[in-house]
Amino acid sequence: MRHDFLDRYSRLSSPVHRLPAGVKLGCAIGSILLIVGLPSGSLWLFGLPTLALLVIAAVSRIPPSFLVRRILFFEPLIVGIAALNLLRPGGGEVFLAILAKSTLSLFTMILLANTTPFHALLRVFRVAGLPALLVTVLALMYRYLFVLVDEAERMSRARSSRTFDPGALRLWRVMATVIVQLFVRSSERAERIFAAMTARGWQ
Amino acid sequence: MNALTIRHLSYCYPDGTTALDDVTMSVEENECIGLIGPNGSGKSTLLLHMNGILPEKISVNSVSVFGMAVSRETLPAIRRMVGLLFQDPDDQLFCPTVFEDVAFGPRQFGEPEDAVRAAVAEALERTGLKGIESRSPHHLSGGEKQRVCLAGILACRPRLLVLDEPTSDLDPRGKRELASFLERLPATKIIATHDLELVVRLCSRAVVMDGGRIVADGPTVEILSQAELMLEHGLEKPHILQHSHPHRTSPDHG
Repeated sequence: MRHDFLDRYSRLSSPVHRLPAGVKLGCAIGSILLIVGLPSGSLWLFGLPTLALLVIAAVSRIPPSFLVRRILFFEPLIVGIAALNLLRPGGGEVFLAILAKSTLSLFTMILLANTTPFHALLRVFRVAGLPALLVTVLALMYRYLFVLVDEAERMSRARSSRTFDPGALRLWRVMATVIVQLFVRSSERAERIFAAMTARGWQ
Repeated sequence: MNALTIRHLSYCYPDGTTALDDVTMSVEENECIGLIGPNGSGKSTLLLHMNGILPEKISVNSVSVFGMAVSRETLPAIRRMVGLLFQDPDDQLFCPTVFEDVAFGPRQFGEPEDAVRAAVAEALERTGLKGIESRSPHHLSGGEKQRVCLAGILACRPRLLVLDEPTSDLDPRGKRELASFLERLPATKIIATHDLELVVRLCSRAVVMDGGRIVADGPTVEILSQAELMLEHGLEKPHILQHSHPHRTSPDHG
């Protein structure tokens, strides 16, 4: 799997992409705080941030279809949480507010992730004084997430090529073994990565 | 001066497996050594001792590099001198971009940022990787990953290069390119490998390990030509050293 699943368009060249990463991160956090702080009662207020985000999206030249697909990908989660409010009296308004706020926040983050390369964000975190260990952990997570996904994919392919009668119970048991294997392999890999880091002077 | 001296080195893994059993060897400056032996013979464990990654707690100084004993105090200097290439490039490429990865070593050694940039540019140039600085290691081909790993090590300007199975993931073209690159590289080299043709091509001396011990040590052709010795230790006499070469047609037979 390609790990640009997360940030496929972060290396385009547009006025938004050329802005310093720190500015974009600051704006993104600022606008999320603003969106969350908007009063729930007046939905028309959400039109303003929506319009602003749409303009940024247009300037950034990220294909709209990609943005829509990416938002829809996460939307079930938002709808699931928001829908809980429908169960209580007068929850409709809260439902709509949570839906709008979460979707707009998500839109902001997707825009940030796809206009700023991850390593540029890491640099901002470092300059901003985030603990070095935390930044390193984030960097390693970004680097190895998809190595892990690939490994899981290979294992499940090998498994299914030898599974002839996938009964539900059997399948669950096999899944558990795969997860355990993956855990063992990752911890072994972590040891090897640590050795490789120390070999080049990490202390 | 000896580039590497190892005296009576033994090592047990925490689970009790003996990985090295009284290993003694020395390597002269600018020598190129082929370290061969079956799987599990202790080659990789020996390599990890060459820059102090093993043992976990250094108590006895049985390894020294360019006259400097490996100890807790000398570790930074030792790691600077010894460039270690790991078997799986994914373990070694742990940074988000190629540039960051190649710059990792020089930055750890505290070089100023413009010196780091110069070192990275030079290492990428030498490994033929210019122009991929901002790519993510995850999306490179196997051969490219291997070369980025090498660049990351060269950027630290090591005097002793220690390579663990450098050709195991490469296609024949990648192997050829790596071999000719290493041939031209001026440094002391120790190459642990199953690729005996590579040993014949690059190394003047071969060291055979089995069961954590050194069982043979001498000129490459002399060692690798001993068919019985090779078979006994899970190896084989390489094709190019066969006396009656099956594919070679002598001139008088047309």
